[in-house]
Amino acid sequence: MTGATIDHLVSVTVFLAAIVLFIGLFNQTVQTAIIYQQHRYLASRCSDILDTILLSPGYPINWGKTDTYPTSFGLQDPEFTQYRISPYSLMRLQSVTGTPITYPKTGLTYSNITMGFGNFLLVPYTKAINYSAATKLLGVNNTLGFQLTVTPIITVTITETHASNPLTASVKVYGLGFPLSNATISYCFLKVKASQGNTPLYSSAFGTIFADDEGEATVSFQNVASDESYVLIAYAHLQGLVGIGYHERVTSTKRYVLPLIDSFAQRRVILAHSYDVHYGGPPESAVFFNATFVLLTEDFTLREMPMENSTGKIGKVNYGNGQPYANLTIPTYNPGILIVTYKSNNEDGIVLMPWGMSTMAFPVTFGDRLTDKEWIVTSIRQILVNGIAYQAKLALWSFKGYSVVG
Amino acid sequence: MMRTIEILLVIMIITGAFTIAAFFAVLPSPRQVSPLNLRRLALTTLQTLDGDYSMSTTVFKPIGDSSWASLQIALSASLPPNIVYNFSVYEVQSNGKLFNPIKSMSNARDLGVGSDSASYLTASSNVSFSSTPQKIGESGGGSTLYILNCSDANGWWITGYTAQKLAGDLRMLLSPYFQATIMVQNTTQLGLLLNGTKITSSPYEKVASAVLINTFGETVPIPSGYYLTQGAQDSYAKYCYLLGQRVRQYNWTWASIVGWPLYYVSNTVALSGSQNGWGIYGMVMVGSPGLQSFLRGLDNQAYAYGNSQTGSPGVVYLSSVAKYYSDYYGIFPSTYSTATRALSTSILGTYHLSVSTYIFDQTGNWIAGAVYRHAGTGAFLSLGLARTPDVRLTAVGLLSDYKPRLYRSEYTAAGTSRLVVLQLGQVGGA
Repeated sequence: MTGATIDHLVSVTVFLAAIVLFIGLFNQTVQTAIIYQQHRYLASRCSDILDTILLSPGYPINWGKTDTYPTSFGLQDPEFTQYRISPYSLMRLQSVTGTPITYPKTGLTYSNITMGFGNFLLVPYTKAINYSAATKLLGVNNTLGFQLTVTPIITVTITETHASNPLTASVKVYGLGFPLSNATISYCFLKVKASQGNTPLYSSAFGTIFADDEGEATVSFQNVASDESYVLIAYAHLQGLVGIGYHERVTSTKRYVLPLIDSFAQRRVILAHSYDVHYGGPPESAVFFNATFVLLTEDFTLREMPMENSTGKIGKVNYGNGQPYANLTIPTYNPGILIVTYKSNNEDGIVLMPWGMSTMAFPVTFGDRLTDKEWIVTSIRQILVNGIAYQAKLALWSFKGYSVVG
Repeated sequence: MMRTIEILLVIMIITGAFTIAAFFAVLPSPRQVSPLNLRRLALTTLQTLDGDYSMSTTVFKPIGDSSWASLQIALSASLPPNIVYNFSVYEVQSNGKLFNPIKSMSNARDLGVGSDSASYLTASSNVSFSSTPQKIGESGGGSTLYILNCSDANGWWITGYTAQKLAGDLRMLLSPYFQATIMVQNTTQLGLLLNGTKITSSPYEKVASAVLINTFGETVPIPSGYYLTQGAQDSYAKYCYLLGQRVRQYNWTWASIVGWPLYYVSNTVALSGSQNGWGIYGMVMVGSPGLQSFLRGLDNQAYAYGNSQTGSPGVVYLSSVAKYYSDYYGIFPSTYSTATRALSTSILGTYHLSVSTYIFDQTGNWIAGAVYRHAGTGAFLSLGLARTPDVRLTAVGLLSDYKPRLYRSEYTAAGTSRLVVLQLGQVGGA
């Protein structure tokens, strides 16, 4: 009797222990399967959300060219179908990478995309779409987080190889995984001319060169002294792939003109004295400027679009109280590059601002930061932004959190 | 003891079940859990390569053509380094074998652990053409259309556009109706043209009886040399007179797309130090005498300096003729516009002109848009509208005046479609 009781107790104990153990093991397997399904779902959502963003213009459809907030979020160019993205909607995305700047004279903070000295895109937060608003418009707030990165496929790198007479520059054209051999490169060369007056004068030259098998080409310019400021802008294209690069040399980076977007609807840009933004130290001189606008035509050549005096293309800015900023009106909604030559105390230089994100191949990173996220899925599309080839990558994650039990 | 043995047997059975379940329930690799959507990447890559129809053009080229190599370079450059591809082109056939392979190119021996593909149908440039336009002046060998696209001149009253952009749009609209369409790329070529010299080697180019469209708005490009020196009199009003003479001499039709015709002259090199009073350099204001001088030249009157006149009748409406031909040619500008530079009806008698086509209905004594023909030779299209220009009105005006016919046809030739398949694979990683 006693033996039967012991047998009973041992068997029940072992059985219960085994059941607990197996429940745990099976639970882990089930958890694994659930996580697998959730990750699959997240990958599917990532692809869908990226398509939603890229294949819808949002509402109103031309919100990129206005100062209003959209009531539906999308980046497609309303004048096209498929994966063609509005260069103006991209401009209105609040960048997550650049350090925002504040301009006391407007009292506004500006989203900052700066690609080296002289290449600025500064959009006021009041006109830029922030991440929080975008998640609400996409219907994913509090459930999913994302980061959208739009980067150019073609990289055009310009390097100065000889400083003067002739000024020589090397242009290298690369894709994501291969040089763009035999690409056609059209360029715009703009030089600040020596002048007696305050207003900077400039001369421009346009031309076309061809890359070799390594994707490289050389261009040279006569009558350029080593102490003269210039900018060289180059568009490379081959079989539908178009990329852009630029290189500036300036004689003064101490005082310069900073272009700040004021209104997309009015195409108005504020030109500010750099000291008002960067607080550069002891008092400095006023900066005189002379602006022009260059656009890429359908035959892939660059053309200068003259600006009337009434646009505010010529003027002077100073810093401090009682010194108003200058206003400049961009003459067109065709994407192009605003080129502002400046001069102060016999030092001069050039700053550029894209009008339409693609014209200077600026990248955009919009959304939340990727740090401390547990499982991130990505999806990629090749897109065209005003004819310039870009790659759009969406990184997506869930706020639910997945941890394996056991 | 038996119960313990039974329990052990149960445990063995459950262990066996768990082992079997665990064998099948393996967590896949990250690539399989959240795979890159290669199908979409392939499709968007094909769309990018065909963004300006380059790929569609290339896939119909002969196999040995160099553009195939360019296409492969572009394809390799557009894909990330860890993506391998197989790019194939097939001819779509209507009977027998449906897809006939034309060419295939790849950058790897195999496509890695997983691949996906997208297809893209391209059509040759002549597959969707359903109407054949009659060429203007066909009976006389065909007319030539010259569009001023001078890189060394600036425009005025074309706010928001460049002359080059307008020239491109006009070429797309009008080139099917002319035997030859030639872009006048600089003022030097314009000078040659004014001297009656052909500027291309095209056998179809004919200087006589051509149509010249000035895309520079109220500005007209001026060539260096003879025209700059001889035309400088009276702030270049004399140049406008010489232009009028050439229009009469060569029986041209001169088209002014917007504003007050010939109000400025421009040459960014020769006149680089001059500005038009509004900050645009390379331009000189002729003022209202420009139009008067042009019309005197067209009428073969002696040169005399004097003002011309335009009016602002306000809102004007497309004429019934323009509306009809707007439908016929499928070009649809707005049916009304604002005219601030309409020409006076008085020029008809003074310069022996007659209106061959009204683009806008006449309003009082003002004609906002019309084609004027001289009693002798030469014609003049003027659209005295407020800026910004709408080149569709110029196209409708010219086509309404020349009335080339459209021969509808259905194109059913074989071999006009090709299927492009891009298969992508991922290499490296888990």
